[in-house]
Amino acid sequence: MSPELIRLIWQSTLDTLVMVAVAGGIATLLGLPLGVFLATSKRGELFAAPAANAVLGVLVNATRSTPFIILVVAIIPFTRLVAGTSIGTAAAIVPLTVAATPFIARLIEGAVREVDQGLVEAARAMGATPVQIVRKVLVPEALPAIVLGLTLALVSLIGFSAMVGAVGGGGLGDLGIRYGYQRFMPDVMAVVVAVLIVLVQLVQSIGDRLARRLNKRLRHA
Amino acid sequence: MNAPVRPGALSAGALPIALAEPAIRFEKVGKTYAARSGQQAVSALAGIDLSVPTGSILGVIGRSGAGKSTLIRLVNGLERATDGRILIHGEDVTKLTESGWRSQRRRIGMIFQHFNLLSSRTVFDNVALPLEIAGTPRAEIAAKVERLLALVGLADKSERYPAELSGGQKQRVGIARALATDPKVLLCDEATSALDPETTRSILALLRQVNRELGITILLITHEIPVIKEICDRVAVIEGGRIVEEGETFAVFTAPQHPTTARFVETVTGVEVPEHLASRLRTEARPGDSLVLRITFIGENATAPVISRLSAIVGIDVNILAGRIDAIAGQPFGSLLVSVPSRAPESEAVLGALKSLGLKAEVIGHVS
Repeated sequence: MSPELIRLIWQSTLDTLVMVAVAGGIATLLGLPLGVFLATSKRGELFAAPAANAVLGVLVNATRSTPFIILVVAIIPFTRLVAGTSIGTAAAIVPLTVAATPFIARLIEGAVREVDQGLVEAARAMGATPVQIVRKVLVPEALPAIVLGLTLALVSLIGFSAMVGAVGGGGLGDLGIRYGYQRFMPDVMAVVVAVLIVLVQLVQSIGDRLARRLNKRLRHA
Repeated sequence: MNAPVRPGALSAGALPIALAEPAIRFEKVGKTYAARSGQQAVSALAGIDLSVPTGSILGVIGRSGAGKSTLIRLVNGLERATDGRILIHGEDVTKLTESGWRSQRRRIGMIFQHFNLLSSRTVFDNVALPLEIAGTPRAEIAAKVERLLALVGLADKSERYPAELSGGQKQRVGIARALATDPKVLLCDEATSALDPETTRSILALLRQVNRELGITILLITHEIPVIKEICDRVAVIEGGRIVEEGETFAVFTAPQHPTTARFVETVTGVEVPEHLASRLRTEARPGDSLVLRITFIGENATAPVISRLSAIVGIDVNILAGRIDAIAGQPFGSLLVSVPSRAPESEAVLGALKSLGLKAEVIGHVS
């Protein structure tokens, strides 16, 4: 394999990492409050707002049920508005973030709903405000599950990022399609797949380890 | 022997605070859950009149679904009364707003059946939580938490996580946490129902200590009569959302008025007629039969050598069939099943002697 190709694979790996990290980061910042809200705003809950909960729920479901490749194309005007262009790695971050945010919100909602309601009651009995309950009880108690959810979201993002080549986004997926597939270079395809496998493995094992360390529910030996 | 003095029944001279406003007072309190689509409105509590004297321990006993958890949650506003008033140290809390309730709740501690400790926090940080919520300065929190952990006997477990503790230890953390904001009232929601009998006793002893040494009024709910017997000065029996009987524990246990109360106290005060005897019991005496009596001992009589005195007075043998001597709210209480000859002069002499000794005797029947 030529040094030129190796440099290309390296560059594509960096592009993928940047897209996944930036989109994952922004989506977490947006998805965390959204997920907490979804988990606490049904009737009788901390921030009871059943109507807002229902509307957001529909919005989240709509985004999640749109196939990613269609979402990428459908929101091109929005992408252009945000990134100034609809082509390239920076532009690809926009649809990735839009797709990951509701996904992460649902994962966080699930994690927060798993927290024992008895703890919420105990915190209320101490005189905690709803915001204190979220910050001191719900999020810390849900943290191991949140970390596992974010791990899952990052792995999915790595997969999604392979599709943004369709709009001129770079990354490993794009490289695999253009060189491995269209130029009949199976060795490039093999390297791309191998790098993706290593990336996913890495993300998953770091996430697992972190979640295990945060989980104090298991007895420590 | 002197009967131990019950704090709930102390004279005003010994404890002037007993005359003061009750710590908690329910006045005609009701709780109705509004009708939802397709469902009728549900009345959980109705016409609750109940006072918890300051410095006492009052236990509310009832089966599940009787309304006791709703009742206890009305006191700290986790549930809102729909009728009547609730006064805490004389202050009407029924009209409080949510933020009014929040500051009120800092003056009321609560412990739970399943402890409700945060698994992500150490023992120390769990106890610190109510102080963090109240905005207490960090240095003050540390000193306070150390003191509370020493009080509940867990000073050495400060850096452990709840998952590393036994049930009894978790409840001790719960108690320390409930006391963190120096409450005047402690609510116990089935606090020992998830614990084994021995651990239950140690937790009850700790609650007793908290009540006596810190002067904290305790309102507890339970379905376990031994809990009431062990530490409650007063007891209220709840059924179908209503209080059916209320009074000093000893008085209620020894002379229950309501059938539900009678069923509850039977298990700790009653002596069952043994199976082999029950099948042979007759209501009519035949020649040569023995008379079966249940003798109830209250207060100092419970520890007096009654049977030997009885034999000495009437000069006949008293046969003990079954019995139990126990303490209720710190006062001795006993119940004995005995048999004596059924013949008229002897049996009448025995009944007369029991009366002169101040004992309650109940004729169960005759056996051959």
